[in-house]
Amino acid sequence: MRALPELMDPKRARESPESAVLSRPSAFPDEVLERILSLLDTHKDRSSASLVSKAWYHAERWSRARVFIGNCYSVSAEILVRRFPNIRSVTLKGKPRFSDFNLVPQNWGADIHSWLLVFAEHYPSLEELRLKRMTVTDQSLEFLALKFPNFKSLSLLSCDGFSTDGLSAIATHCRNLTELDIQENGIDDISGNWLNCFPDNFTSLEVLNFASLNSEVNFDSLERLVTRCNLLRILKVNKTITLDQLQRLLVRAPWLTELGTGSFIQELTPRQYADLETSFKGCRNLQTLSGLSEATALYLPALYPACANLTFLNLSYAALQSEELARLLAYCAHLRRLWVLDTVEDKGLEAVGQNCPLLEELRVFPSDPFDEEIVHGVTELGFLAVSYGCRKLRYVLYFCRQMTNAAVATIVRNCPDFTHFRLCIMNPGQPDYLTREPMDEAFGAVVKNCPKLQRLAVSGLLTDLTFEYIGTFAKNLETLSVAFAGSSDLGMQCVLEGCPKLRKLEIRDCPFGNKALLSGLEKYESMRSLWMSACKITMNGCRLLARKMPRLNVEVMKDEESNDGQSYKVYVYRSVAGPRRDAPPFVLTL
Amino acid sequence: MGRSSSSPSSSIDSTSNLTPLSPSSPNSSSSSSSICLSSNFTSRTTRRSIRRDLSTDLRLGLSISSSPKHVLPNNNVVSIQRVDNQQRPDWPPIKPLLRSALSGRSAEERHGAASSLFVKVYMEGVPIGRKLDLLNHDGYANLAETLAHMFKAPILCPNGSRAHSDKHYVLTYEDREGDWMMVGDVPWEIFMSTVKRLKITRADRC
Repeated sequence: MRALPELMDPKRARESPESAVLSRPSAFPDEVLERILSLLDTHKDRSSASLVSKAWYHAERWSRARVFIGNCYSVSAEILVRRFPNIRSVTLKGKPRFSDFNLVPQNWGADIHSWLLVFAEHYPSLEELRLKRMTVTDQSLEFLALKFPNFKSLSLLSCDGFSTDGLSAIATHCRNLTELDIQENGIDDISGNWLNCFPDNFTSLEVLNFASLNSEVNFDSLERLVTRCNLLRILKVNKTITLDQLQRLLVRAPWLTELGTGSFIQELTPRQYADLETSFKGCRNLQTLSGLSEATALYLPALYPACANLTFLNLSYAALQSEELARLLAYCAHLRRLWVLDTVEDKGLEAVGQNCPLLEELRVFPSDPFDEEIVHGVTELGFLAVSYGCRKLRYVLYFCRQMTNAAVATIVRNCPDFTHFRLCIMNPGQPDYLTREPMDEAFGAVVKNCPKLQRLAVSGLLTDLTFEYIGTFAKNLETLSVAFAGSSDLGMQCVLEGCPKLRKLEIRDCPFGNKALLSGLEKYESMRSLWMSACKITMNGCRLLARKMPRLNVEVMKDEESNDGQSYKVYVYRSVAGPRRDAPPFVLTL
Repeated sequence: MGRSSSSPSSSIDSTSNLTPLSPSSPNSSSSSSSICLSSNFTSRTTRRSIRRDLSTDLRLGLSISSSPKHVLPNNNVVSIQRVDNQQRPDWPPIKPLLRSALSGRSAEERHGAASSLFVKVYMEGVPIGRKLDLLNHDGYANLAETLAHMFKAPILCPNGSRAHSDKHYVLTYEDREGDWMMVGDVPWEIFMSTVKRLKITRADRC
C-alpha cells in the first residue's frame, strides 16, 4: 500500500495545483470516502480500493461488512479483527478440496471454534456465517446461537463434526434467523426433533434447506413453521416428506422461488394427484427445483405447470430415463443450469440440446460410478448434442466412460465461451476410444478455443503435451485439477511457468517429482494453494521448498494407501498467520 | 453406447453380452408382478445384483483379479474403482453424499460391503424373527419362494389365487408411513422403496 505523496506530505502538496485539491482534508472527509467505498461489494474491487492509498485503505477497512476467506489458514482471526472492525458476514473455506474424496484424514483441522471465540469479542453483531469444508461441533453451534443475538444466516456446506443437536440449538436460540442452509455435510443425524425447536412466535425464516438430512421431521411442526413464516422463499425438504405432505406445504407457500421436493414418491389417489397438480400450478415464481430422488414417470407430469420460469433444475439425485427427461424439458425453455444423472443417457442429452437454448451450465453425474462393466451412461455423443443446441454453454462437469479428441474439438468450436471445463473420463489413463491416442489434443483444443477459461479438470490418457498446451494458451486459468496424467516433471513445470493467473493447483497420482515441485517457488506465493498426493515427491524436496520459501506453509502427511510407504501428500499455501498451531500429529509442518 | 474399452481380460468382456435390462431370474416361470414392468421400471438395483452374481462366478474359476489394471505412460500400474472388490473411496471424484446415495445404502450404514437392503421378517406366533436381503431378489415370486424355504411354510405368492386360504400364509409389510399392507399390490420398485419390515400372517386373518 503506497500512499500518494501529496496526501502524506502537506509541503509537497503546495507544489502543484492538482495536488493542492487532493491534499485539502475538508474537501473530502473520511466519512464521505467511507460512504462511497461502502457501495463497493465485490471482494476484488474492495481489495483494489484498499491498495490505492493509506486513506483509502482505512476507509475501506472501516466500511467493509462482508469478508471472504478462501483458505482459513491463510490468515488468523486476530489479524482479521484488527484490520476489519465492522464485519457482519464471514465466509470461510477450510479443508483442501480433495478432502471431498477421502484424501484428507479425519481431524485434520479447520475447526471454526477458535474463530467464534474471537468473533464473540470483536463482532458481537455478527449476522452471517457461511462455511465450506470446516469442522463444526455442536458446542460451536450452541456457542454461535447464544453469543450472537443478531445472528441471521447460517450456511454449512460439506462440513463435519456436528449433529442434529447442534441444529436444535440454532433453532431454539436464534430469534432473528432468516437462513438455515444445511448441505451435504458429514452430520450425525440423530433425529428430526431440531425442527420442533423453532419457537411458536418465530416468523423470520426465509431460507430452509434440510434436503440432505435423513431423519424424519414432524410434519405438523414443519407445516406450522411454513405457515407462519410468510417470507419463506426457499424450501428444500428431505426425502421423508411424502408427496401429499409436499402438496400441503406448497399450498401454504406458493410464492417459493426455490423448492427441494424430497423423494417425490408415494402412492397417490387420483384426487391427491389432482391436488398436487393444482398446487404446482400455483407456484408461479419457481426458479430452482431439486430433490425428486425417487420420482418416476407416473408423477413427474404434476410438475410441468411449475416449470415455466425455471432457470435451475437439479436432478442429480433423480435417476430419470431419457424419455422422462425429454418430456420434462419440453416445459423448461428458460433453463440456464441443469444437473442430471447419466441415466438419461445420450438420448436425454439430445433433448437438452433441443429444448434448452439458453443453457449455460450442465453437470452430468455418474449413476453407477463403481462398476466398470456398465454399458450405459453418457458418451461423447451426448456432449456433442448439447453443444450443438446450447451455444451459450460456459460451465460443464461431465462424467463419462469414453471420449474422443475429435468430439471435444467440435464441442469447443460450438461453444467457445467456456469458463469452467471439467471432464472426468472415469477409467483413468483411458485414451481416445476410437483412435487409441492420448487425449492431449482434446484439452489442447479446449485451451486454444476458450480464452475465458478459468477452471479446468483433465482426465484420460495424457502426456506432457497437454500441459504444454495449458501453459501456452490458458492465460486466464485460475484452477486446475489433474489426476493420473502426465509423463514427466516437464508437464507440471509448463503449467507453473505458463499460467499467470493460476490460484489453485491440485494434483494426484501423477509422475511429478521434486524438480517439478521446486520449479514453482515464487509462483506459490501468488497462488492460494497447491495440493499434491501420490506423486513422486520426497521429503527432501518438501524440506527444500520450505527452506527456500519461509512465507509459505508446507504441510506434509504420510500417504497411508501407498504401497512403498514413501509417498507423501503435500499441501502448500501462502499465509500471513505463519505455521498453524492446531496441526494434528500426522501433519508435519516444515 | 460403447463398452468400457480398457478391460484387458476377455472373460470380463463376455459379460457385456448380457443385456442388463432383461429382468432375468432363476424362476422364469413366475407369474409375479415383475412381468408387468416395462423397461422404465427395471431398477438399477436389479441390474446391479445380476451383475454382481456374474462377477462372482467369474472370480471363482479364474486367477485374474476383478479389477482391470491400467498402465499409464509413466508405467504406474493403477487399479481403479475396485480394490479387492471394495469400492475405492477416492475415485471417481464425486462428493460423499452422492457417493453413498448411489451405492444404495444410507449415509449411516457405511461399511465396505456391497449394497444390500436387509429387512426383518416375523412369522405370526414366532417371537424370534429372521432377516432378509431384498436386493437379492428380483420380484415377488422370488421373495415368496425364499420366505417359504426360510420359514418352512406355504406362503401365497402375492399374485397367486387366493382360493385356498385355510392353511396358507400371506405376506404383509409395514410401509414408511407405519401402515401394514398386503405385499404385491404395487410394482416391485415402489415396494422396495417403502418397505420397512415384513410379517407372515395367516391367510384367514386378512
